[in-house]
Amino acid sequence: MSDSFLTADSNETFAMLEGMLNTSVPRVRSTDVPSVFEVSGLDVSYGKKRVLHDVSLQIPEKRITAFIGPSGCGKSTALRCLNRMNDEIPSFRMEGRIRLAGQDIRARNVNLTALRRSVGMVFQQPNPFPMSIYDNIALAVREHQGRMGRAELDAVVEQALRHASLWDEVKDNLKDSALSLSGGQQQRLCIARALAVRPAVIMLDEPCASLDPISTARIEELLLELSTDYSIIIVTHNMAQAKRISDKVAFFLMGRLVEMGDALQVFEAPVRQETAEYIRGAFG
Amino acid sequence: MAARSDGAILVAEPGIPSRIDLTERVSRTASDRFMPYVLGAAAIFSGLLVTFLIYFVVQKAWPVFHSEGLRFVTSGGWDTQLEDSWSGGAFFGVRELIAGSVFSTLGALLLSVVLGIGCAIFIAELAPRWLKRPFETVVQLLAGIPSVVFGLVGLLVVVPFIADHLVPGNSGDVVTEIPIAGSCLLAAIVVVGFMVLPFFVTVASDSLRAIPRSYIDGGLALGMTRWRTITRIQLPAAAPGLVAGIVLAAARGVGEAIAISMVAGAIAFIPNLAHGPLYMLLEPIRTMAAAIVENGGEAMDVPAMAAALFGLASLLLLLSVVLSLVARWSFGVFNRRMGVVSDRAL
Amino acid sequence: MLSINGGGRHSVGSKVGTVLCWIASIIVAAVCVSIIGYLLWQGGHSINWRFLTSDPAASLMEDAAGGVRTPMAGTAILTLLSIALALPVAVGAAVYLAEYMSERWWITRIVRIGLETLASVPSVVFGMFGLSIFTMGTFKFLSGSGTEGGQAAFGRSFLVASIVMAVHILPFVIKVAEEAIRNIPASLRQGALALGMTKWRTISKVVLPAARSGIATAVVLGMGLAAGDTAIVWLTLGGSMTMAVDKWWEVGNWLATLRGAGSTLTTFAYFNSPAGDGNSAGAAFGAAFLLVCIVLIFNLAAVVLFRRRNLTGR
Repeated sequence: MSDSFLTADSNETFAMLEGMLNTSVPRVRSTDVPSVFEVSGLDVSYGKKRVLHDVSLQIPEKRITAFIGPSGCGKSTALRCLNRMNDEIPSFRMEGRIRLAGQDIRARNVNLTALRRSVGMVFQQPNPFPMSIYDNIALAVREHQGRMGRAELDAVVEQALRHASLWDEVKDNLKDSALSLSGGQQQRLCIARALAVRPAVIMLDEPCASLDPISTARIEELLLELSTDYSIIIVTHNMAQAKRISDKVAFFLMGRLVEMGDALQVFEAPVRQETAEYIRGAFG
Repeated sequence: MAARSDGAILVAEPGIPSRIDLTERVSRTASDRFMPYVLGAAAIFSGLLVTFLIYFVVQKAWPVFHSEGLRFVTSGGWDTQLEDSWSGGAFFGVRELIAGSVFSTLGALLLSVVLGIGCAIFIAELAPRWLKRPFETVVQLLAGIPSVVFGLVGLLVVVPFIADHLVPGNSGDVVTEIPIAGSCLLAAIVVVGFMVLPFFVTVASDSLRAIPRSYIDGGLALGMTRWRTITRIQLPAAAPGLVAGIVLAAARGVGEAIAISMVAGAIAFIPNLAHGPLYMLLEPIRTMAAAIVENGGEAMDVPAMAAALFGLASLLLLLSVVLSLVARWSFGVFNRRMGVVSDRAL
Repeated sequence: MLSINGGGRHSVGSKVGTVLCWIASIIVAAVCVSIIGYLLWQGGHSINWRFLTSDPAASLMEDAAGGVRTPMAGTAILTLLSIALALPVAVGAAVYLAEYMSERWWITRIVRIGLETLASVPSVVFGMFGLSIFTMGTFKFLSGSGTEGGQAAFGRSFLVASIVMAVHILPFVIKVAEEAIRNIPASLRQGALALGMTKWRTISKVVLPAARSGIATAVVLGMGLAAGDTAIVWLTLGGSMTMAVDKWWEVGNWLATLRGAGSTLTTFAYFNSPAGDGNSAGAAFGAAFLLVCIVLIFNLAAVVLFRRRNLTGR
């Protein structure tokens, strides 16, 4: 099956689009499960500028949670708090508490490397390292797993690539540069890289924003599979996407969490008026 | 087991995610901890090198500054003093050398700016696309030619040309103090002018290219020709950048020793305007930098001469520090005008 | 009356100006090309096998200056040693400037001013600096070797010259290397950090490898600078015709060679030109020819590396 919209066979394309349309009804999976992340009272500012006000939410384990909302509403910022990527920004200030599996992620004895191993991240623009496909994953693995025999490393790389549904396409070209892959393949490589270190949570910040519909569909399919074993948080601009794949939805507006609930409930019968207006498309 | 639309079977292994333990000890190698310090030391060391330079050079020049003070720069007679120092003479006046440096550098700057502006405008605006990069490469090449090569070409092409075509036959009558030959100020100006030209051109063309398109479009929309937008809008806006380019070229020119010692006549003489502009250009000179390289070899055996040479080096050092700061300030003005926030130069 | 044809008042100025710029550029290009061409032509005459493989002869007779074997070796030694000394410090400083230092710190400003100033110091001053420091007693070990009748000058040697040359090229290598490191996109660093890599690991495993070709460009530029300089070499190495030790190429003699004086292509050319002591313009031209070839090669290498960076990076 081809990866690019432009080279796809037209029958294939129609089949895919049909599939996408058919799942416009939100999925139903119970979200009455333990929480992997618990956020309470999160306030974030960059210097003098307040970007998040008093955000409290819980991320259910082994489900797909979507953060939705218009541009600049703070959803990406909230995501980046969860693996403390915002710590890299000098003017970042945070109040409140974030717990991962019951442990405060900002406690003094927390190891940042361990946190980022448990919480993987995939970015909006695919960012594979300018190395071979194999090395992209091998580098990540060696960071966390130390010395490893060649055979063992090969196995881990293969497993990661299979998980990300990329193995069949690259298994003969593992030594090729990662930059020679198409956009969709690069993004799946980034997902494979994140998976290779065995995280518990995978966070994706608008992962399909720069991809064509067919690549998008493949990644959505992948996320649905992965959610049986991993907790997934996805920031997305694309409401249709949120409807297609998420179990739980959090709607952000101007730095506040306006509403959060089961996907079915939020999309069919939102509690707050702003949510209803956003879903209707009154603003974006 | 789950089946996918492309037919592949995903083997689900239970317990794939590892246990979450945020306090597990991840081995940090020693290098994680001390590397920033090592790197920081390298950076600070590099930044402070110039102060070591200044300290040691000035320290060695101290004897001559101490005994003469300002008379070091105000009095002249370098050539004879050099001779005398072998037999114990210890007084040095470098007036002619300073004059030599000033005249040669100013002349070279004139030449390189006049030609250089043309080249810079050419690169930034006028060159057809296919010609731009090759021409820039040619300019870079010019910058990379070693000074001794410039000196050789100057000695064997420029100097004979001046001697054959520019020196009047009766020059001995007009200028009686010293012999007029092809090795002269003009040769120095020509050679150094082309040596420093690439420095000016690079900075000038970058400055021109940094002017936002909107300024130029505004001029064009008002009906100005392309050329007028260049002269009336771009050049004035790029002025601080151009100044910085001139200053950098000057620093390079005043420091040039080898080529000048080869083509300028090696006689410490102040070109005399009273002889008329032609003769003034044909008179030989000696510059501060050239004097150092000409005598540096033997100088260490004669302490007084050594001190004098270190004195010259201190003057050159002072000059280059000042010029460097002026260039930096000029770049700062330019960057602020262009709205660039960072502290780094263009 | 509205008129939109006719050249307008400024069209003449426009034409003249444009023509002048073209003329200026043609002059400059012509000068550059003819310098190189002249060198290749004149110097080409002197290049023959004997020239390349024999040593300089101390002779004042015209055109009997011998070959350039030792000066060539001298240039090679000096260039390689200088870049070897400068590169670690330069890359270290460049990494620190690009990755750790904030432009708002006062110390950053000091370092930048220091580097810019160092870059504008003339070669001759570096040479004098070398003489001032390395004639001090503490540095005796760096120079002063030589067999009987060989070239032994206190305070002058390949080691001394290389150290001084390394200081001279340092700011340029730092500048180019820092640019190369800064050009690595932030997304790569973010990706590495999100994987849990520490800052130093991100730099050493992701950023520096990605900046490989930019750093190679810095190396090549530094080497070109070191190979072409005359003033520093003349002052800190002298103009002696021979190496300090007879069989200088033998590994056992290496230390003695490095501690002794010698010459490079640049000082050889200077020495043999009519301005120096020698009388053999031919030999000088031959050396200059080789120098120009070296410079052309280095420039070409820098351009090729620059292109390669643009292809593999993003």
